[in-house]
Amino acid sequence: MLNGLNVEGTTPLHRMSVRMKLAILLVCGLALYTVSSLFILIPAFAIAALVYFTTGLAFREAVSRLKPILFTILILLIATAYFTSLREAAESFFRLMAIVLFAGAVTATTATGDFIDEITRLLQPLDRLGLVRAADVGLAFGLVLRFVPDIFNHYQSIREAHRARGLKVRPLTILSPLIILTLKDADTIAMAIDARGFRRPREKHH
Amino acid sequence: MDIRFSGASVSFGGRLVLQPLTLTLTERRIGVIGLNGSGKTTFARLINGLVKPTTGQVTVNGLDTVRDESAVLAAAGFIFQNPQHQIIMPIVHEDIAFGLKNRGLKADEIERRTAAVLERFGITHLAKRRVHELSGGETQLVAIASVLVTGPGILILDEPTNQLDLKNRRLVENTITGLDEHSIVISHDLPLIEQFERVLLFHDGRLVADGPAQEAIRAYHEVAGC
Repeated sequence: MLNGLNVEGTTPLHRMSVRMKLAILLVCGLALYTVSSLFILIPAFAIAALVYFTTGLAFREAVSRLKPILFTILILLIATAYFTSLREAAESFFRLMAIVLFAGAVTATTATGDFIDEITRLLQPLDRLGLVRAADVGLAFGLVLRFVPDIFNHYQSIREAHRARGLKVRPLTILSPLIILTLKDADTIAMAIDARGFRRPREKHH
Repeated sequence: MDIRFSGASVSFGGRLVLQPLTLTLTERRIGVIGLNGSGKTTFARLINGLVKPTTGQVTVNGLDTVRDESAVLAAAGFIFQNPQHQIIMPIVHEDIAFGLKNRGLKADEIERRTAAVLERFGITHLAKRRVHELSGGETQLVAIASVLVTGPGILILDEPTNQLDLKNRRLVENTITGLDEHSIVISHDLPLIEQFERVLLFHDGRLVADGPAQEAIRAYHEVAGC
């Protein structure tokens, strides 16, 4: 979900501060885990879907973003239905989908830079205690958003190379070149971060 | 621009990859050529402190690349072989603004400078585009813009026209030759290098030719045996 691809817009979510959006997402997520009634979970899912599909994302793009997580949720749905009951599976499905859609709406309406700034600000108390470097965590978050699609592209290139050579695509044979390529990229990216002066100096606290 | 190498050498894992080098660079356009693995990139990375000299010293406008690392990084921008690796944010405008934000500039100043650099390189129309959607030439221009927006006086470009088609290569070449900043360009693109005032040729970790472009390119052909 978090591929950093927000869309511009003027919806209430776009205008809301990042902190407020994250807080609402947290509260909604926790609240949805405390209820197990389908009379609440289904409307929550419907509201989340409405919010998500009105963020300004093109319908096809909005659906395509959901596909990877939907696959995981469906596996969970089948497993829950098999091991417990259909009702519990339905509860899990609507609960998870509602959270995913809310999270997707937050992602679609928030610029990556704003996410990074907010995370950096939220971690300032821990930074003051010397436990983390808030700016580094913010930057790391941004890097994940930016480079996950690149790792996926590497994966696709390696898979195509396998096919071109008539090799069977196996997870193990894909994993090792993928790790090597990713680590190689990480090395250059780290150097680029230094070259562009992106690592903010730690704030001095008196 | 005043870049000085004083007996600077580089070893990796006990292997000498750049022989001790003493020279001064002051020209506006400097080209660096040589076969693959000849030490060109190591030489370029020494200039902005990405690689530290194993022996000797490198200074940029009087700043030591080891002692004054941050100031050197601010004075000399670097464009990597694959510009995708240095574009950190997913949207063009965000990436250009991010460098300024990290320097603590105010929002209106960030916006003004970002808009100005986008206009300078004729890429205002790309401001809202996702970096994944850019062509090779556009990506290279965005990388150059995102480095120059912070105002380094020197720009080091590592094979900037590598893997570009003819149209994009011309676009990037014209941008480089039109830069106001001092530039040091590593390239196999000899028509681009021909336009430079001074060209350095590296071979097996040694500087083997240093002079006008035509002389260095002739020596390059001899070294390459073609």
